[in-house]
Amino acid sequence: MMTSLRTLLSRLRGTFAGRRSEIELNAQIEAHLDALADDYVRRGVSPGEARAAARRDFGGIEQMKEACRDLRGIALINSIGRDVQYAVRTIARNPAFAVAAVITLALGIGANTAVFSLLDAVTLRSLPVRDPEHLLQVVKVEGTVRRGENYSYPQVRALSEQRDVFSGVFGAGSSPVITGAPDALQRADAAWVTGDYYETLGVHPVAGRLLSARDDQPGAPPAAVITEEYWNRLFSRDPAAIGRTIPIEGVPVPIVGITPRGFGGVHVGQIADITLAVSARPQLSPRDALYLGPGANWLRLFVRLQPDVMEAQAGTRLAVVWTQLATSRRPAGPALVSPRLAQFTLALVSGRTGSSPLREQFGPPLYALMVIVAVVLLIACANVANLLLARAAARQREIAVRLALGAARSRIVRQVLIEGMVLSSAGTILGVGLAWGGSDALIDLLSTGRMEPVLLDVRPNGHVLLFATLSAMATALCFGLAPALRASSTPCASLLNQSSSRIFGSPGRLASTLVVCQVALSLVLLTGAGLFVETLHNLRTLDAGFRHEGVLLARVDAARAGYSGADTVRLYDELLERARQIPGVRSASFSIITPPSGGGGISLSVGVNGHAPRQEEFHINGVSPGYFQTMSTPIVMGREFTSGDNEAAPKVAIINEAFAARELDGVSPIGQRVSLGSPPGTRGEMSIVGVVRDAVYETLRSGAPPTVYIPFAQSQGGNVTFEISADRGLAQVSSVVRSEFQRRLPRTIVDVRTLTSQVEATLVQDRLMATLGAGFGTLGLLLAAIGLYGLLAYVQSTRAKEIGVRIALGAGRARVMWTVVRDALALLTTGAACGLPIVWAVSRLVGSLLFGVRPFDPTTIITATAVLVAAGTLAGFLPAYRSASVDPMIALRHE
Amino acid sequence: MPPSAEVPYGALDLMILKTLESMGPQHGYGIARRIEQIVQGSLALNQGTIYPALLRLEQKGWIASEWGTSENNRRARFYSLTRAGRRQLQTETEYWTRTVDIVHRLLGRT
Repeated sequence: MMTSLRTLLSRLRGTFAGRRSEIELNAQIEAHLDALADDYVRRGVSPGEARAAARRDFGGIEQMKEACRDLRGIALINSIGRDVQYAVRTIARNPAFAVAAVITLALGIGANTAVFSLLDAVTLRSLPVRDPEHLLQVVKVEGTVRRGENYSYPQVRALSEQRDVFSGVFGAGSSPVITGAPDALQRADAAWVTGDYYETLGVHPVAGRLLSARDDQPGAPPAAVITEEYWNRLFSRDPAAIGRTIPIEGVPVPIVGITPRGFGGVHVGQIADITLAVSARPQLSPRDALYLGPGANWLRLFVRLQPDVMEAQAGTRLAVVWTQLATSRRPAGPALVSPRLAQFTLALVSGRTGSSPLREQFGPPLYALMVIVAVVLLIACANVANLLLARAAARQREIAVRLALGAARSRIVRQVLIEGMVLSSAGTILGVGLAWGGSDALIDLLSTGRMEPVLLDVRPNGHVLLFATLSAMATALCFGLAPALRASSTPCASLLNQSSSRIFGSPGRLASTLVVCQVALSLVLLTGAGLFVETLHNLRTLDAGFRHEGVLLARVDAARAGYSGADTVRLYDELLERARQIPGVRSASFSIITPPSGGGGISLSVGVNGHAPRQEEFHINGVSPGYFQTMSTPIVMGREFTSGDNEAAPKVAIINEAFAARELDGVSPIGQRVSLGSPPGTRGEMSIVGVVRDAVYETLRSGAPPTVYIPFAQSQGGNVTFEISADRGLAQVSSVVRSEFQRRLPRTIVDVRTLTSQVEATLVQDRLMATLGAGFGTLGLLLAAIGLYGLLAYVQSTRAKEIGVRIALGAGRARVMWTVVRDALALLTTGAACGLPIVWAVSRLVGSLLFGVRPFDPTTIITATAVLVAAGTLAGFLPAYRSASVDPMIALRHE
Repeated sequence: MPPSAEVPYGALDLMILKTLESMGPQHGYGIARRIEQIVQGSLALNQGTIYPALLRLEQKGWIASEWGTSENNRRARFYSLTRAGRRQLQTETEYWTRTVDIVHRLLGRT
């Protein structure tokens, strides 16, 4: 054992110290031969003969050296090393080929790595906590359908009492806070957590202490835990930061601890700079007291089980507690679980990757993108395979010589595969570099238009590098195997007998097949790109019922600035008046909700004209006078709200066409009476004064729901967003609005953005697919065109003589060109024909990502095919032209 | 070729170890000459073949080597037996004795 280990070590040393040992061995051989020769001389042999005799006695020097070399190094490592060196040398001899192959691979592997690193960050990566595999999340389900994952603070507390089943239970919600000095307020992402958060996760501080159950008690002094990144950003890692205070909502809160690098909470896509106990929330902002009540479902719920408890047992316990919470009457107020929520059951799912709203939104598109980039990589592989095939053809003579000299076929296959490996390694290194920059660009694409940017750590990590390595090896096999097998099956005798110009032979069915595959795959990519671009175009040009161009949105938070009741209404009216006076402003208004950002609809009993009310789902919005004018939503009938529609005036409402169609059965709506949630005939009844065009409310995809608008002055009030339509200088108007509004709203941040960006934010998934689909479609097309060009150019070069003969015999140049273009068209049509079934199969999978276009849309497919044929014909044109300009004399003499 | 011409597998290693034990540190040529003297032409031995054997023994840690000066003032690499080598020689000697014994008995020449 010891001996074999020692042998191994000494061999490993020998592998690396090869050159020195070689010199020493030579010296020993010399000395030995000299001594032998001396002996012969002493015995009276002439010096010359003595030398020869010495050599004879010594035996084969080279065999002996080789035997020593084999002993010295681990033979396989050594010979692979030699193969790698040889591969690098051969590749370097042909730099154009090397550059083309490496760049092609880098693009393919880079695209895959970039998309994978995003997919990894959003859906695959474990939270950086202790034993993430055993962290569980509690979700609400109805049958097998997920019905939400948010819980109220009292619900979380009730569940955390079940210590016999759960070793740890915590709730975590995220909601930004305002921090910074009064003159430089800024938002920071904050996590609000219950007491056992850190203990259950198993996260330990890098400095100070983390929050515990003591911090999550009524009346406990607020304490903040910050992330390592925030500590770095704000305090430059000053240890004295512990104990310092940061203003949160104007209240100085002491920093008690710092979490380790990489930990940013359990909400993937956000990094909670600051973490606070839920119970501290009312102390920082008194109006947030409702977040501690039973009505606010805002905490994600995570648990760990006691070591001996099975998941099924825990599930049963959850059901029992949930039912108890739903049925037990509390002395004050309703049960902790409302009847509606009691219909759902609680289920345990893996909490390994935390929870993320991004996952639902971006999961399907990211998987679709993964498929797209994998196809791009396949096309790239086919290109490199063809390059290698062409080279293998050119090297057939060399390979034949090596085979004839006794090289094993396995050795030749290994050599070609190693060349592939060297190429793909170079491509991967470059590709990972590309991916690094690329994934940041992807995140920018995801964040466009969002108020809170998407924050993801996409630095290449173990997962990503492993992925890149595996894809490199897979690609090397993919493009290397065919040429390798072909190279080794070369019958050497026949090749050696042929004259050099014949060696190239036919382009090979293999090369044509590869190009046909490329064409088929790029048809898939192009069709996909077409569908996604069409989807985005449909959504953008959709008549949303409002115009987003030239409209600014200003979100204000009057409650935080200290306004309440009638003061708030007065403030809004004042701000509206100011906004209207800003030069360039056409009209202005405010509303509780600005499309397309409305929450879900509400379900209330709707009674029309005193008929028995029915429970209906619809949307409701409180708007100021001028809202429809500012949003350019046409009024179909009746009038817009005026300042006369105030709280003292009779209650009025404006409905949209969808609501009229559903509720009024063709009766002229104006003057009809409608009651929402209150019995007909009471004070809550409103008379309809206008009908407006349907306008999108929530997302462009879901279309316009039946909607009722009421005057803001007659609503229950709340925070509003101002809409300001300006006909010029949007940027300038924006800065005036910001400073005017900010003056009246101290201690808050006035967000001013364009309505366009709010619309774009809802299109992020579609924009992602359209942009990247088109980008990768183009890349795939380019690669396929290059592949086609390469094949045709190669065929052309081997046929130069034949073409020369034909031209000499009087074939017209046009006819010669046509033969090449005909080849191109044959390959293209075959490829397209093979691609159609794939398109049919694949496009159905992306149906849910499309809008306004069918998955197997003939127009899109025809367009894609046309683009493909055009690009392919273009690629064929250069070889065709070169064919036509063959000089028959030169071609014929060349032989 | 007569059967005596081949060096039995493992015999060369044993011969080298034995040579080093009886003669002390030696350079390659010395070892080769000594082995040749002993076998006296009954084995066909290319002197060169001892070098891979020396390397193999050194890798196993049974012999050590260092540069020195030979009797006629040439730089030469001197090989010497290590403690492990001495033990190995003993084991190997026993093994060979036993083997030879068995073969003898088998051939009925005891």
